[in-house]
Amino acid sequence: MTTSTLPQWFAAAQQEAWETYQSLPTPNRKHETWRFSNLKQLDFDGIQFAATEKLDLEVPADLPAGVICLPLLEALEKHSDLVEKYFMQNAAELGSAKYAALHRAKLTNGLFVYVPANVQVEKPIKVTHTVAGKNTAICPHTLIVTETGAKVSVVDKFVSADEEAGICIAVNDLIAGDNSELNYVAIQDLNEQSRMIQINDTTVSRDARAKAFTLNIGAAWARNEAYSRMIGEGAHSDMLSVGIPYGTQQYDQRTYQHHAVPHTYSDLLYKNTLYANSKSVFSGLILVDAGAHYTDAYQTCRNLMMEDTTEANSMPGLEINADQVKCSHGSTASPINDDEISYLLARGIRPRDARRLIAKGFSAEAYERLKDAELIDIVHDAIEAKFARIV
Amino acid sequence: MSLIINDLHAGIEDMPILKGLNLEIPKGEVHAIMGPNGSGKSTLSKVITGHDTYEVASGSVTMDGEDLLEMEVDERSREGVFLAFQYPAEVPGVSNANFIRAAMEARQPEGEELDAVAFYKNLYAKMDILDMDRKFTSRAVNEGFSGGEKKRNEILQMMMLEPKYCILDETDSGLDIDALKIVARGVNAMRTTERGFLVITHYQRLLDYIQPDVVHVMADGKIVKSGGKELALELEASGYDFLKADDLVGA
Amino acid sequence: MSETSVIDQETHDAIDVDRSKGDFSYPENHKFDAGVGLTEATVDYICDVKSDPDWVREFRHKALKTFWDKPNPTHWASKELDEIDFDKIRYYLSDGARPKRSWDDVPDEIKETFERLGVPEQERAFLAGVEAQYDSEAAYSNVKEELEKDGVIFVNSAEGLKEHEEIFRPWFGKVIPTGDNKYSALNSAVFSGGSFIYIPKGLKVKHPLQAYFRINSENFGQFERTLIIADEGSELMYMEGCTAPKFETSTLHSAVVELVAMKGAKIQYVTVQNWSSNVFNLVTKRGIAHEDAEIRWIDCNIGSGLTMKYPGVVMKGERARGEVISIALANTGQSQDTGAKMIHAADNTTSNVVSKSISVGEGRSTYRGQVHIPKHLKGCKNNTECDALLINANSCTDTYPAITVRGNKHVTQHEASVSQVSEDMLYYMQQRGISEGAAMSLAVNGFINDLAQEFPMEYSVELKRLIELEMEGSVG
Repeated sequence: MTTSTLPQWFAAAQQEAWETYQSLPTPNRKHETWRFSNLKQLDFDGIQFAATEKLDLEVPADLPAGVICLPLLEALEKHSDLVEKYFMQNAAELGSAKYAALHRAKLTNGLFVYVPANVQVEKPIKVTHTVAGKNTAICPHTLIVTETGAKVSVVDKFVSADEEAGICIAVNDLIAGDNSELNYVAIQDLNEQSRMIQINDTTVSRDARAKAFTLNIGAAWARNEAYSRMIGEGAHSDMLSVGIPYGTQQYDQRTYQHHAVPHTYSDLLYKNTLYANSKSVFSGLILVDAGAHYTDAYQTCRNLMMEDTTEANSMPGLEINADQVKCSHGSTASPINDDEISYLLARGIRPRDARRLIAKGFSAEAYERLKDAELIDIVHDAIEAKFARIV
Repeated sequence: MSLIINDLHAGIEDMPILKGLNLEIPKGEVHAIMGPNGSGKSTLSKVITGHDTYEVASGSVTMDGEDLLEMEVDERSREGVFLAFQYPAEVPGVSNANFIRAAMEARQPEGEELDAVAFYKNLYAKMDILDMDRKFTSRAVNEGFSGGEKKRNEILQMMMLEPKYCILDETDSGLDIDALKIVARGVNAMRTTERGFLVITHYQRLLDYIQPDVVHVMADGKIVKSGGKELALELEASGYDFLKADDLVGA
Repeated sequence: MSETSVIDQETHDAIDVDRSKGDFSYPENHKFDAGVGLTEATVDYICDVKSDPDWVREFRHKALKTFWDKPNPTHWASKELDEIDFDKIRYYLSDGARPKRSWDDVPDEIKETFERLGVPEQERAFLAGVEAQYDSEAAYSNVKEELEKDGVIFVNSAEGLKEHEEIFRPWFGKVIPTGDNKYSALNSAVFSGGSFIYIPKGLKVKHPLQAYFRINSENFGQFERTLIIADEGSELMYMEGCTAPKFETSTLHSAVVELVAMKGAKIQYVTVQNWSSNVFNLVTKRGIAHEDAEIRWIDCNIGSGLTMKYPGVVMKGERARGEVISIALANTGQSQDTGAKMIHAADNTTSNVVSKSISVGEGRSTYRGQVHIPKHLKGCKNNTECDALLINANSCTDTYPAITVRGNKHVTQHEASVSQVSEDMLYYMQQRGISEGAAMSLAVNGFINDLAQEFPMEYSVELKRLIELEMEGSVG
């Protein structure tokens, strides 16, 4: 992507990123962050990068004054300094540094949302990114900044225009300033031939509350890396995900809860419901830095195995270097409990419906933590649509 | 022989909480302290027992002539000051019986061992006064206990350790009337001419069951009014509004 | 059974390394000394001294090549491994005498060593048999007569491979192939000492068999090799204790322990590891449980500078059960890198892992686990619990389990927690008149209490005493 109106710093960053992309090795099996991964999905031979992407932006009608909500390319022209300050400031540490560099080099567009201090945007901002054309890749970026006491919710949707095998390499930077509230929902609903890499980086300042939710229902293969850093006392981060893979879909999820200062809180809940020959990989780490006392950090990954041909891999991790911490992780993989099924059957519900009802309830626990009725509805509808596709 | 607190100033770091507190609890008496939230009641109990979060700026705390402030937490306990905690800590994996035994063994003269048979006989007799189930001895200290069970456990420990001075920090909060009566029964069973009590409470109700000799009102880190048990009833009826009046008499 | 039929490549990838303190020593008096460093000549020297049969000599040389070819585990293991200088280690030391069958025949110095460790009393008290290894070779080996009459074999590994080749050889190196990891290869090249045990069909050995391992010489590497075969329906408890004096330079202990539980057999293997703090304890332990068989590893790691040990069970027969119960205490300067590997290889197999670690001061404890349930199986269950207790600032704890489940006929759950002895808890106990040190000790014993009960009584008491010793001076 080269437009003359883009700022100099950005062009230079893109050039450097391209060099980084070419110099970094392709991940291999020895690499802990790619353990259990399907590395064949990282073959990008013959891929064309789109020059730009079709971006459907739905901005609430009553957007308060001072809020910036623009396609990223436009923001780069109009608010260059502001974008430069926040754009991809942290290295991708969960394995995809190479692809983060590629994303930066080949950026196709995205969204920039900036909410000034003490401004609250109640209705969600929604944006849809579309992949179109055979072997075509897009690199959409979502950059959201909330200043002190601000609030905003953004819904990112990733879809395909056709049934061709496309690629989407998406990055989102979520920067929650002091005492602000930032809610982010990503819905990945690409066609089942396509591939997705999504890299999330969340920074939570003093007394701020960040929620990042990802729903995976589409794509042949999706790799999600989510990194949340708590940098101010009272920071609170919720990391949430629902995945419902079927067929031969594979969802590969890597997470990091980084507590850098005392009195911070993070809670991660990932739920996968697996059908047919699908597979999930979850690797999560809670890191509590030396001195980050009074940390509460929780991490739970649950896999509901709907059929005998599914596979779940879990690598939950804790690394604690501080005192007065409360940390736990739990990971389970199990079929639906027979007692639950029996109870529903005893009420006259058909077995298939009973199983589906339980599976839907299983997912609900994660997205209901969004607490916002409209966000919950959006996710709920997308999940219903996915279940309708499961035969 | 008394527990004497003289012009005590204490707080957390630079924040003063106790600001010149004076109090004398002679043996054989029950003193109650009442006062609004934030007046420093719980701080007083922690300073007397030696919690290291609190720093003593000036003043003294002596028990029967001995300087408590010079002692470690556990020394003070062995000298005979007991605190029934408002929020007792949980000690996972350590049974109540072993815990109480460890505390009693710490009081044994060097080289002498506790008689296990006599210990259990004593323990069971006291549990009976408090209507406690025998199964209680094998449960881990305070882990998974209800509010009432925790408070009864505090009183049981107090009965077993037979301290010289007992401080009860809001032992009544969160208790229903039946649990309150049982706790009061335990305390009353321990009242002798050789033992002093400091009962910190928010509610007059407890004092219906544990009759105090003196009632003190605490506000802003000081005792601002003292009187007989009728003072508690007055407080219950008219609240702490009188604290705003400036005709208060020092303790 | 060939190596490949027991462990496929994927399984092998899943299972990588294993590692495992009385501070006094006696003058060395070794008739046989393989010298410093490791060459083909070292291996030949060991073979010659031990009069190994040709097949063993060949096995050792092949293993030596594998050892040289294999890198240290790099992608996750501690950098401390690089501090091991294989050229400065002495690989074989012995006085050349056959193990004594009578305690009175044991040389006085060695006898004194083991008496200080309480070996003969223990034997008289409750053991069915004892083997005591001093540096490279067993100094004393005894099994009660009635067990011998019942057909129990309890000898050192050298005697095992010569006198009982027909039972020994089919299983030797089959549960843990030479190439499993660098340290299993090293052991395979230079192994000496260790036990060979065979329990005949249907025999339930009531009292535990026991081995003591003692390193007495500086710069020495102890490479014992243990193979236990419990035939159909038999039962056995085996216990080992490890100590070494504190030397100036580091010492390597790299054992290989293979267990074979035939149909319906039960093996419990109990370890209390208390090596001195400059011992690298890199041990590979694994068992194969056949149909309805059960293998339990009960493992306690208190000593050593670096321990890397992940006992495993391959549940090869239907309804086989595998269990790892482990307690680790890491004080300042220590790293306890422990875990479990549960390989489900048949339907309706069940595994259970309970791990508790205590990190004190700057000690580091790590849990690494692997649970493998392949897709074609059904009815497999795994439960993994790891709890860590932190004491004082700068303690570290890490857990890195990896669980793969294929299919919906299985149930796995993993739970981990980290907690500490909080100031509130200490204040509460101190207010009851308990000193700070005693309060800390109560809290720590409370933390491991439910697991300590899994150890045999004598060990449970010893364990609590060792932990109390380790905890001394850790407060204030």
